[in-house]
Amino acid sequence: MKTNFDLWALVLAAVALIALPFLASGYVIYIVNLLMIYIVLALGLHIVIGETGQFALAHAAFYGIGIYVAGILNNTLHLNFVISIIVAGIVTAAIGYILGALAIRMRDIYLALSTFAFGEAMQWVFLNWTDVTNGSNGYQISPAQFFGFQLTSDLRAYPFVVICAALLLALAVWLSRSQLGSAFRAVRESDVAAQAMGVNANVIKRVAFMLSAAYAGMAGGLYTTFSSFIHPESLGFWTTILILIMIVVGGIGSVRGAVVGALIFGLISELLRQVLSFQEIIYGLILIGFMMFAPRGLFSGQRRRPNPPRRDASASGPTTAKEQP
Amino acid sequence: MSFADIWLFLQQGVLSGLVTGSIYALLAVAVVIVFKATDVPNFAQGEIFMVGGYVALFLILVLNWHYALVIPATLLMVAVICAFFQRVVMERVIRAKGVEVQLVIATLGLSYVLKGAVRQTGLGDAPRSLPSLIQPDTVIIGQAVLTRLDLMILFTALAVMAGLYFLFNHTRIGKAMRAVGMNPKAAQIVGVSLVRIRMAVWALAGLISAISAILITPKILITPDIGHIAILAFAAAIVGGITSIPGAIVGGFIIGIAENLVGLFVSTNAIVVAPFLAILIVLIVRPQGILGGKVQVKKV
Repeated sequence: MKTNFDLWALVLAAVALIALPFLASGYVIYIVNLLMIYIVLALGLHIVIGETGQFALAHAAFYGIGIYVAGILNNTLHLNFVISIIVAGIVTAAIGYILGALAIRMRDIYLALSTFAFGEAMQWVFLNWTDVTNGSNGYQISPAQFFGFQLTSDLRAYPFVVICAALLLALAVWLSRSQLGSAFRAVRESDVAAQAMGVNANVIKRVAFMLSAAYAGMAGGLYTTFSSFIHPESLGFWTTILILIMIVVGGIGSVRGAVVGALIFGLISELLRQVLSFQEIIYGLILIGFMMFAPRGLFSGQRRRPNPPRRDASASGPTTAKEQP
Repeated sequence: MSFADIWLFLQQGVLSGLVTGSIYALLAVAVVIVFKATDVPNFAQGEIFMVGGYVALFLILVLNWHYALVIPATLLMVAVICAFFQRVVMERVIRAKGVEVQLVIATLGLSYVLKGAVRQTGLGDAPRSLPSLIQPDTVIIGQAVLTRLDLMILFTALAVMAGLYFLFNHTRIGKAMRAVGMNPKAAQIVGVSLVRIRMAVWALAGLISAISAILITPKILITPDIGHIAILAFAAAIVGGITSIPGAIVGGFIIGIAENLVGLFVSTNAIVVAPFLAILIVLIVRPQGILGGKVQVKKV
C-alpha cells in the first residue's frame, strides 16, 4: 500500500511540476524552488537525525556555508553552477566530517548543544567576516551559469532546481535502502549493539554527519541558482529548527515524512511571513497540537520501543537494561 | 594597556560579570531542574522569562498597580502558565509515548505562542524597562563602579539560590523533585506522584524565571526577542554539567564574567560569540561539564 502511495505521489508530483511553469506566475515558481531547497535540507537532517539518531543542530550553518561558497564561486569565477554546487557540497562535507569527529565524543543533549553552539558561532562568522560575506548588509549573488546560459530568473532556474532536488531525493532513498542505511539505523537503535555486530559506530556517525552536511551545502548551492541575495539573519538556529520541525512532523526516520513535512512547513512559513505575531502564535499552536495528538508525525518510520529508556546519566543502569526485551 | 588598566578592567569585569551572571545562573537553574525532572531541555525558557518581564510591565504601565502587588501577581501568573503547560500539554505528549524530541518541539511551540501573544499586546513594539525600585546610586567597590540596583540584583539572586538549597535539601517536595530527577520509577514506587512533581518543577522554574525577569528588567530594555538570553542560560547549564544545580550556578557566573571580560578586553562585538566558544571548549575538553557526573553509555 505504501509503495502505491509513493508511486501515485511521484506521478502526481511529476505532472504538477511539469505543468507548473506553464500555469503559474513568478512568485509561485519562487515558492516551489524554495520548497525544493527545503526538501533537500530536510533530507540532509533526516540522514543524521532520522536515520542515525544523532541530534546535530548545525544544519543552517552548513546551508549557509554552502550558499556562501557557491555564491562566491558564482561571483568571482563564474563557474558552471553544477560545479559550484558540487564544490559547496565537498566543502561542507569536509567541515561536517571534522565537526562529526569532534561531536561523536558526545551524545544526546551534549551533542545537540555543542552542534547548536557551532551553528551560532558560524552565524556570527557570517555576520562579522565582512570581507567575504559582506556581513550584516547581506551578500549579493550574481546569476548562476550553465554552459553560457544565465539563470537570471526563478523560472529559468526552476528545471535545474527540480532535477537536482529529485536526484538528491533518489540518492537519499537509495542510501536509506543500502547497507549503509542499515548501519545508520543500527547505530540509531543502539551504538553498543551495532558495535557488537561489527558496525564501526564512530565511522558511521562521522559519515552520517558528513552526508548530512553535504546535503545542506548542496541545498545552499541550489539556493544560489535562483536567489540573488542572502542575509546571515536567515541562517540562524531558527532555520535549523524549521527543518527539524519538518522532519519531526513528517515522521522521524522516514524519507516520505521528510519530504511531506518540508512541503507543509515550507508553505506555512512562507504564507504566514506577512503577520509576525499571528505567524508565531499559529506556528506554536500547530507544533503543540501535532506533538499532543500525533507525536510520531505523519509517516512514522521509526518503530517505538514500548518503553523508551531514560538516557539520564543518573537513571540507574540495571533498570534501563531490564526495560529491553 | 598598562598593568593598572588591566587590574581595573579585571575588577570591573568580574563584578559586573557577577551581577549579570547571577541572572544567567538563576535561569540556568530553571533549565536544569526542568531537565532533571522531565528530561526536556526547555527551549521556551527564554520566553517564559520574557513573559515574566512583560506581565510586570503590563501591570505597572497599563494597570498602574503598586510594586508590592505586581511582584506576587507576576510570580503567580508565570508559575501558573508553566504548571498549566506541563500538566495539559507535556503530560499529554508523554502519554502519547513522545520521546525527547517531541517534548522539545512542544516547548518550542510554547516559545512561539508566548512570543506571538506578547507581540499581540502591542507592549513589545518599543523596547521598555521597568521603573527601578531603588535609587540608582553608584557604589564603588575597589576600583569598580556598580549601582545599588546591581547589588540588589546580586544579593536577591543569592538569596533565591539559598532558598532553593533549603527547598531541595530540607523540604519534602524538594526531596521528591530530586527523587524524580534521579529515578522516576523508583520515586513512583515510594509514593511520589510524577504528574504533580513535574508540574511543581515547571511552576518552580516559572517562579525563578519571573524573579530573574523582575530583577533584571529595571536594568535593561526588553523586547519580545529578549528570550535569546536563554542561550546564555543553556551555555551556563552546559558549562556546569546539565544535571547539576550547583554547576548551573557556577556556570552562570562563569558565563557572566567571561562575557564582561571579553567585552572589556577584546571587543563588544565578540561578546555574542564568547559563550558559544565556552560551550564548545568545555564540551570538547570535559564533555560532561564542570560539575556533571560521569557520562554513561546506554546499555543494550
